[in-house]
Amino acid sequence: MPIKKIRFLLIIAMLVSFNLNAEIIEADFAYIGQEDHPALLGVKQGIDESNLQGQFLNQKYNLEIISENKIEEHNFTKYIAILTTVKSEELKNLAKKLTNIPIFNLTDESNELRINCITNILHITPSSKMKADALKQWQTKTPDSKANPQSWHYSFKKFAARDLNKRFKKNYKTNMDDYSWAGWAAVKMTSDTIARTKIINAKNMLNYLKTKLTFDGQKGSDMNFRVTGQLRQLILLVEDNKVIAEAPVRGIAKPATLESLGILNCSK
Amino acid sequence: MRFFWTLLTITLFLFNPFIANADGRIFVTNERSNTISVINAKSLTIESTIEIGERPRGIGLSPDNTELYVAVSEENKIVVVDPNTLKILREFEAGSDPETFAVHPNGNIYISNEDAAKATVFDPKTGKKIAEIKVGLEPEGVAISPDGKRVIVTSESTNMLHVIKTPENIIENNILVGSRPRSATFTRSGNIAYATAEISGEVVKVDIVKAKIIQTGSTGDNKSKPKDVILSKDEKTIYVAAGRANKVIVMDANTLEIIKEIPVGKRVWGLAMSGNGEYIFTTNGVSGTVSVIDTGKNEVIKTIKVGEFPWGVVVKDN
Repeated sequence: MPIKKIRFLLIIAMLVSFNLNAEIIEADFAYIGQEDHPALLGVKQGIDESNLQGQFLNQKYNLEIISENKIEEHNFTKYIAILTTVKSEELKNLAKKLTNIPIFNLTDESNELRINCITNILHITPSSKMKADALKQWQTKTPDSKANPQSWHYSFKKFAARDLNKRFKKNYKTNMDDYSWAGWAAVKMTSDTIARTKIINAKNMLNYLKTKLTFDGQKGSDMNFRVTGQLRQLILLVEDNKVIAEAPVRGIAKPATLESLGILNCSK
Repeated sequence: MRFFWTLLTITLFLFNPFIANADGRIFVTNERSNTISVINAKSLTIESTIEIGERPRGIGLSPDNTELYVAVSEENKIVVVDPNTLKILREFEAGSDPETFAVHPNGNIYISNEDAAKATVFDPKTGKKIAEIKVGLEPEGVAISPDGKRVIVTSESTNMLHVIKTPENIIENNILVGSRPRSATFTRSGNIAYATAEISGEVVKVDIVKAKIIQTGSTGDNKSKPKDVILSKDEKTIYVAAGRANKVIVMDANTLEIIKEIPVGKRVWGLAMSGNGEYIFTTNGVSGTVSVIDTGKNEVIKTIKVGEFPWGVVVKDN
């Protein structure tokens, strides 16, 4: 082949690849926590689903796993969001270090963290108070029930929960639990926001998630955050491995909305 | 006395509100009873109930009205029924978890395979698979333009309308809409489509050629979870099944403003219109009923008890 022709083909190839790359939006997530935690499986499921959507929109999502003892030395500037299973003091320290990045709390239920209203922590997992309120509502109706309040359960079918449970189980050969749902939801609400708004700046993302989010968490109504940073959501009441009710419990909850569960305001 | 009865019969016959051919029928899939309810279009009563298989959902007719297709989701198949004799003719494998489908003017069926993130094209005469198109997660609604040039598949968990070109069967455009798009319908020209987004409680009007949303309308209170959408014959009005809000919302097709709300049974999902555009049939999942709406008055004129969790509905006019 003559050199001229090769050069011509090379230029064409470069132009083509340049054009393809020009339109791609990439976003990086960081997961901080144990590698064998079920939350990480949910995060991976979320990344997979986001990339499935991304292939239609030229968007690509990456995940990096960072161990807890590497936090100090790691450079976090490129991430759109942090997903973590670290708890209490460690979580607070992380929030202080990374003030302009959304930090998704996937596991810590402490009420104190909500009352403190730390600006960049978004609590996917329900607080202890949310769960206790849900159980109290249910036991007002059925005093002898030994139900357990949970944010997710593999037997949940409504609101297309069945579909999410099915595809998670197919991929990971294990049932989706509360933590894996939290990991999935955190990634999915971020990538949904990127798909709609093309926001790829972490600070703008944090602001959008806290003020404008409407997210389909496959738990019914659209989801958004309280001023406390807590995700509004219904709570499932599970007994003998079956979802037997949902809170707010109809006819009992006051007000008859999601605001009957958990802490609504920051401490003054 | 006999004269009186004859007169009464003639009067009832003349003033029967439902004008349709004598052999017109409405077919309804009952998701939980695993049956098809066959409603006589003239008397608006149940004529027959057909055992069909586990979890029947999508339902449709061949372009010449000689075959009725039913997606039997749990058994991964399409069952073909003779809509006149009501006998089951045959069945074919339709991929994983077939939910809804639409019939192309050329007779082929476009199916959404909910748990496989794809749409599949079948020739129902042979049961042969013609094409497979990768789409987003939880594909659901399927609509085909009257000229057969384009197909829309909605993917509920990827929040998109995938516009597929035919006969190539390739994706031409992906249009991001509100959360959980469930159903779509084309105008006669095929250039405009309407789609519902269940979680965001929206209806969008989309320019399909330019792949752009031109109007967004809210279905009102947050109980409204819009599912099926259909267009009136004059294309001035759309009808939206509002799910757990237990009503059909009537909207101006241009501005997407709510004109009227028609209370129907509980958890209304499916909608179908008679060929002359005068009647709409709704499936009310939790009530286990079909409501008949007179589109002249936009009022329910009859409620018919069917099986458990009625889901899909189709009207055969003759």
